[in-house]
Amino acid sequence: MPESSSLDVVMFSPSAEALGVDRDLVVADLGYRNGEAPDMVWELVDDLLPQLPAHVEIRCGFRILPSGSIDVGDDSFTANGMQFSTGPIIASQLKRSTSLALFVSTVGLQMERWSAQLMAEGDMMKGFLVDALASEVVERASVWLEQRVVDHIAPRGWKITNRYSPGYCDWAVSEQQKLFSLLPHQFCGITLTASSLMVPIKSLSGIIGLGPDVKRGAFQCSICDLKDCYRRRDDPGPAKEKA
Amino acid sequence: MNELLESLTRCVERGKVNSKSPYPPDLKGQDGADEFARKAIDAGIPPQEILSNGLIIGMQRVGERFRNKEIFVPDVLMAAKAMAAAMGHLKPFFQSDILKHKGTIVIGTVLGDLHDIGKKLVSMVIEGAGWEVVDLGTDVSPEKFLKAVDEHPGCVVGLSALLTTTMVNMESTVKHVKAKHPNVKVIIGGAPVTEEFALKIGADGYSSDPQGAVEFLNSRCTPN
Repeated sequence: MPESSSLDVVMFSPSAEALGVDRDLVVADLGYRNGEAPDMVWELVDDLLPQLPAHVEIRCGFRILPSGSIDVGDDSFTANGMQFSTGPIIASQLKRSTSLALFVSTVGLQMERWSAQLMAEGDMMKGFLVDALASEVVERASVWLEQRVVDHIAPRGWKITNRYSPGYCDWAVSEQQKLFSLLPHQFCGITLTASSLMVPIKSLSGIIGLGPDVKRGAFQCSICDLKDCYRRRDDPGPAKEKA
Repeated sequence: MNELLESLTRCVERGKVNSKSPYPPDLKGQDGADEFARKAIDAGIPPQEILSNGLIIGMQRVGERFRNKEIFVPDVLMAAKAMAAAMGHLKPFFQSDILKHKGTIVIGTVLGDLHDIGKKLVSMVIEGAGWEVVDLGTDVSPEKFLKAVDEHPGCVVGLSALLTTTMVNMESTVKHVKAKHPNVKVIIGGAPVTEEFALKIGADGYSSDPQGAVEFLNSRCTPN
């Protein structure tokens, strides 16, 4: 059940267990393929995973904009009178949207404190793996949240597009400021720095197009030809972004 | 090459810290970098040789394999741990000036950016290449970089950023440092940074991986 719900703003605090954090994905994201990580890495990940519930403060939520409140152009969209310059790639994916879900998810501050503490104590390996786990948790939280959006809009006969975040496909990170201006103050406990960095760092934000005629696309990087993109993944799996 | 130094190189490359370390499993129970460094010193091998022909070669192989995606961050961290164990035995030689670093790099994540891990990883590999690293941490202002350069004459500056919104602060840092120290070399790196950007902001070098930073330092930067 949502923690709060009013005017199409919904917030959740799912448990780490509910998200189904996948150890294989954590290790694969470190670069190892086909499970060929050293035993030490598997053992440490298996040791750290059960400790997650004591360190995560997962919060996620979304705001659904009123139907018809967005206008999508060739390389931007306008919502609540505010223009977002997403670039043509994202704009084309949003084309048939009649509304948007603005979303955020975070693992909270405890995870980065835990990671920093381990590193300060000289255990770089565990500190790094905690950081990697935090990235996976926030990604899982965003996937989990997508399903909540689907459930929320199903009675309206709407579907969803993929998720898009500032920083994807030529959409400037600085537009986080506009995105957050459309969300409740410190939504899910997340604040923005002047440089548009989310605090806690292990947080994700973005938009999802909604409407009766939209659809989820293929693997996100396949729609983008951005050169030198540091987010591009080599494998053809589902798109995952680093927090 | 001396057998002890070869063993030392292999221990760093494989991340074998000491005899008690269970990793890697195929070297369980065997001596690690810790023991081989001690043995090398006891055998009278000059410290500079231990560093240059043992440890640095091991770390260089690690950096190259990481660049080629043959190994990943955890492997580099274990190698750095093995390197550190061996370096503990060499510390007295640095303190008595028998051993000297190749030079000093003042490194930090630029103003507005709190990302730390990538910079730490680069620092470890640079340290493993025989350089002294002065890590200023994250969210470092141009003024703080300049102060550190004042305090470490002849140093190189390394700037890190993970966001497109913070990489712009690299430019002000480069300008601030070079206005007072025009000959100080600056290398930049971080996920959104490119060589083109480095050229545009007046940095002297760019690297997309730790070993590239080492190669820049070794080839382009005059030691202290």
